Amino acid sequence: MKRLSIVSAVIATGAMVLSTLPAQAAQTTGVTANEIKLGISSPTSGSAGLVYGNVPGAMKAYFDYINANGGVNGRKIKLVHRNDKYTVRGAATSTFDLVYEDNVFAVVGALGTATHQSGYKAASMAVENVPDLFVNSGWSGFNDKVAYPTTFMLLPTYAMEAKVMAKVVKDNFPGQATFLVAQNDEFGDDARAGFGAASHKFTREFPYPQGGMDIATARTILEAIKAVPGKPVVVLFGTGDATVAMLKAAEELSLTKKFTWLAGSVGADANTLLALKVKPETIDGVLSASFMPDAKDLTDPYVKQFVAINTKYRKGKAFDNYVLAGMNSAMLTVQALRAAGPNLTRDGLMKAIETKGSKFASAGLVPLGYSATSRIGYNGYWVSQINAKGEGKPYGGKLVIYTTDSGAGAVTENKTFVRPTMPKNGIPTNK
Amino acid sequence: MISSKKRLVIFILIGWILLLVSDQASPLRLYQGSYIATYALAIASIILLTGYSGQLSLGHGALMAVGAYAGALAIDSAKLNPMLGLVVATLIAGLFGLLLGLVVARLSGPYLAGTTLALAVALPPLANQFEFLGAQQGLPFDVGAGPERFGEEFSQYQWYFWICALASLIMIWWIANLISSKYGRIFRALRDNPVAAQLSGINVGRQKVVAFAISSGAAGLSGGLLVILLGGVSPSAFPLGVSFFVLTGAVITGLYNLKGVILGGLILVAMPEIADSVVSRVGGSEGLTTSLPDFLVSALLILAVVFTPNGPGHILKRHH
Repeated sequence: MKRLSIVSAVIATGAMVLSTLPAQAAQTTGVTANEIKLGISSPTSGSAGLVYGNVPGAMKAYFDYINANGGVNGRKIKLVHRNDKYTVRGAATSTFDLVYEDNVFAVVGALGTATHQSGYKAASMAVENVPDLFVNSGWSGFNDKVAYPTTFMLLPTYAMEAKVMAKVVKDNFPGQATFLVAQNDEFGDDARAGFGAASHKFTREFPYPQGGMDIATARTILEAIKAVPGKPVVVLFGTGDATVAMLKAAEELSLTKKFTWLAGSVGADANTLLALKVKPETIDGVLSASFMPDAKDLTDPYVKQFVAINTKYRKGKAFDNYVLAGMNSAMLTVQALRAAGPNLTRDGLMKAIETKGSKFASAGLVPLGYSATSRIGYNGYWVSQINAKGEGKPYGGKLVIYTTDSGAGAVTENKTFVRPTMPKNGIPTNK
Repeated sequence: MISSKKRLVIFILIGWILLLVSDQASPLRLYQGSYIATYALAIASIILLTGYSGQLSLGHGALMAVGAYAGALAIDSAKLNPMLGLVVATLIAGLFGLLLGLVVARLSGPYLAGTTLALAVALPPLANQFEFLGAQQGLPFDVGAGPERFGEEFSQYQWYFWICALASLIMIWWIANLISSKYGRIFRALRDNPVAAQLSGINVGRQKVVAFAISSGAAGLSGGLLVILLGGVSPSAFPLGVSFFVLTGAVITGLYNLKGVILGGLILVAMPEIADSVVSRVGGSEGLTTSLPDFLVSALLILAVVFTPNGPGHILKRHH
């Protein structure tokens, strides 16, 4: 018993000493006189890392460029990245660490639906009032100000995309049979809600579990529909690997020209398709929806500027749609920080986006929907057609922008939207 | 071998210290501490099953998932108190383990391992198919914000820590008692020489099932605790990696001794963090940054197996 009493005495003393440690002083977390610390939780390893791994580096390159040109109101931006490996646990700890260990001012560009749902809650971002900017997910649930009070979406929702697709099919392929290949979870459900809202009924639907679309499954689907007369439209509303599986199966069965392919933006990056060995002849003519210019379109001033930044700050690394998306998010972030003024607070940042965000300059070819009541970012799409070189050009030759909401609102052709001119040299000067 | 009274005193002391320390710890340490406690419990359940009764399970993630879902349903649908929800998690997972054990009782070695592995892969995604299990989105596991009588200073993470640390402590204490009782001797007999055990009157099949059931219950509880920290349970919360992760922790700290479980939990939480900070200090290419943490954990596993096959806890034990 003697050893036990010694041990307990030591421990009790230790506990009393610890109880006298002083509390921490309060200040704006993540902001000093010289620096603003931002955090991003995203995958840079594993299969998701292969696709999205360039995003943090791209954002950092843009921030480096801005830092070299005076920063934001005299402060330099530091981006902390934590690899969440695209798992729920990873995102929970990564986001938590960004908020409580790295003490970031705001989280930007969080990636993935299930991952960010977990990360947001695990880090108590609502309670801690940590701004959650430009989330990389199209799940409309993030627009819920009660559950996600500090979140600002960026991507149009999957429901919006589905509604635009429904209009394209109705306008251009009347009378043809239509088929939907989508996941059997909230990603696919969001799309189904959109098609439903647009009153589109598919001839047949082929749901599959996340990660469960392989070439064998794709062949089964194609075998089932290959005898349908005419030229049916097949909507591929899945991730890149699922789109690849369907197209490659079509190649194997010589059915690539039997169908009109309409690939959702999530899985239709032409570079990825080609890199994963889908033949150029197969992707030639595939329709897709996008809200950004094509990364290969050097006539677009934003693309041209971002390519220049990429060349200077990410030597040797390729420029693709993901790098474009990353730099675009970074540019929006800089404008948000500027609009919040030199006296930077978290509330001030969020208010700035609500009041001025819809006017921010960005590469997006559709409007931004931020307001006091809406946390939706881009709210529309233009329809592109991919050619054998992997370039996406406006379908029908002329760029038509469709805007809509995630609910029952109509899909309208937006003829009045003029994309804000890019700030000179890509350096925002907004207030 | 310490007496059970001494053990109780030690555990109560540890619990009391943890509660005291939690008042001063930062949210980060509390969050990490919660994970450590949760993993320590998961490791304890593996030690019971594999170290003490000799049954290898590669699928503890599935058992954790069963507990997590059971608990979430209890709180979400049946509107039970979160503490009761955790009890439900333990009992349902234990029941599941009992049934599973009855099925696999004849299997051993690689066959049992393979079966449990298949379970770990197949079970969590099953939840995708059922609406009442929340499908892809999952269910929340809400333990509330902490009792009001503790005042405003009592943070969410302190509450999480209290729940995780105390639940784990109680369960680990119970397992420790079990191991030092006649059941522990029976389990060790099963592990070391099933034939001799059978000959001396032990019903090997039944005792294997008992070990499986208890281990599953503990795993289910740790699953419930884990999803508290994740904000909710979903199929993506229990990928195959979880099973290997906790098994790695158990191997590193020694499969044959409960004393190392807290160290095991600490290693599982600390290794990735240490690796991350090493990497950020050393710098290096993006490729190195992302693969180094996993590499370090795996290297540690290999080193542990080569140099301390019975775990460093074993070395501590010898010095008593």
